[in-house]
Amino acid sequence: MEKKESGSPASFIDSTVVPGDVVLDLSSMTNQTIKLGGGLRQDCDAISVMKAGTLRFTKPNKYWVESSQKRYVPCVEDTVLGIVVDSKADNLLIDIKGPALAFLPVLAFEGGTRRNIPKFEVGTLLYLRVVKANFGMNPELSCTDASGKAAEFGPLKDGYMFETSTGLSRKLLSSPTCPVLEALGKKISFEIAVGLNGRAWVNAASPETIIVVANAIMNSESLSAAQQIIMVEHLLKNIE
Amino acid sequence: MEGRLANAWRLTVNDKKFIKNALQSEIRIDGRKPYEYRKIAIKFGRQVLASFINLPIFVFSSTQNREDGSSEVQLGQTRVMGIVTAQLVQPYRDRPKEGILSIFTEFSPMADPSFETGRPGELAVELGRTIDRGLRESRAVDTESLCILAGKFVWAIRIDLHILDNGGNLVDAANIAALAALLTFRRPECSLGGEDGQEVIVHPPEIREPLSLMVHHLPIAITFGFFSDESILVLDPTHNEEAVMGGRMTTTVNANGDICAIQKAGGEGVPQRVIMQCLQLATSKAEAITKQIKEAVEVYNTERALRKIKRHPTSKGKQGQSID
Repeated sequence: MEKKESGSPASFIDSTVVPGDVVLDLSSMTNQTIKLGGGLRQDCDAISVMKAGTLRFTKPNKYWVESSQKRYVPCVEDTVLGIVVDSKADNLLIDIKGPALAFLPVLAFEGGTRRNIPKFEVGTLLYLRVVKANFGMNPELSCTDASGKAAEFGPLKDGYMFETSTGLSRKLLSSPTCPVLEALGKKISFEIAVGLNGRAWVNAASPETIIVVANAIMNSESLSAAQQIIMVEHLLKNIE
Repeated sequence: MEGRLANAWRLTVNDKKFIKNALQSEIRIDGRKPYEYRKIAIKFGRQVLASFINLPIFVFSSTQNREDGSSEVQLGQTRVMGIVTAQLVQPYRDRPKEGILSIFTEFSPMADPSFETGRPGELAVELGRTIDRGLRESRAVDTESLCILAGKFVWAIRIDLHILDNGGNLVDAANIAALAALLTFRRPECSLGGEDGQEVIVHPPEIREPLSLMVHHLPIAITFGFFSDESILVLDPTHNEEAVMGGRMTTTVNANGDICAIQKAGGEGVPQRVIMQCLQLATSKAEAITKQIKEAVEVYNTERALRKIKRHPTSKGKQGQSID
């Protein structure tokens, strides 16, 4: 039975999978590198599913299982929004809504050396990248991109951070741009940072705008594209 | 220690600053005005019990209609479930003719990771006490009518309040849940019998219609949050606002404008003028909430009464069709 399934990996893509499903068979796809995202694990040659959701695939080689939940399971190369909880000599402890606190090494900043250790107040909001996410270990974060540049990573000033589900945050980051952001962006200007761990940060010139954007996003989760646009128009009419 | 750090819910510096700044221009993060209450939704009976796993053991489970006396209240993100049960017990010695009313709270870690299982926390105790005071000291529930046989048997009414989701202002939501559950609760009817007239007979609901409790008035808890430096007052604070605000005050008032209880624990001091303003606001809100609870209970009661009516299956219509 397993063989029959593994013969056609494409059949699982964009379909619902449950824990235990074997979605890929490595023995039949030699000389190929694949990257596994959240919700998948490797048992020898079989790639099996660990949580219920939809199996996704992006070219060239990344597979992951998408679902919507309140807690976040860290996964390498995800960009997340973290809150500083505590600082130790070597690491900053960061809350990323995961099962354990994440470590952010004090040297994981652009040009970071022992001399210039960054100081963050407890409660600072940071935009970060997950570097290591292994079982039984605290995940490790970094404030730089893969080439060691600060890129967009680092502390976020002012604005307002709110919690979303992991599914909604993924929707916000999807391309083409999610309808709610598209509709909002046409009328008002704001800045947004979305972490895959189910957090979003919004900044704009006035508090009214921030609140409208935040609430529009939070309301959009269960709405269809057309409904989202209507909702945004309705909200914007109210503040004008 | 790290485990505790991981479980604690925390607010970012950005949010704290933003909430305060926005309040200065009289806006709140959910788009409300400072004196606006969140939307309340009240559900009863069947819908509630479907989601309820941890059913407490009660004595007359077989004779009682399990749908009565359970409510679920949703106040914005906050969800609280209230379950009322009754048991025949011996009364307290100093009050042989009065029934007993007690309140128990359960804060599940599912509602908020900072709630710990086992020993009730400070918030759980305060919440239970505030609601208990509002209900009991104001004599909202007629305890004397719960007496069956003086000194021997009285009904002990137990209200269980389960916090299902913490979105702020648990006290108000739990209070509404307790009231809604009390209003729909029905205890089995009892009569005295036996040779000496000292034996209590509990009539099953199929034989005699259970009786609802006598509730004289509805003490509604209304919570205010105070933000010190800007001397800002907000009604019905959310979870985020609770983390920022300097002090809180819960006033329990009823629709007639009687003050049943005031709870002001720690935090910032409040001038008398502000307290008077709060009471005025609370009275008007209490009227609206009382009306909503009563309407919800009425809808439930008519539904319940309709369910009692036995309808014959619409066989007549079918027969008519077959003849045609």
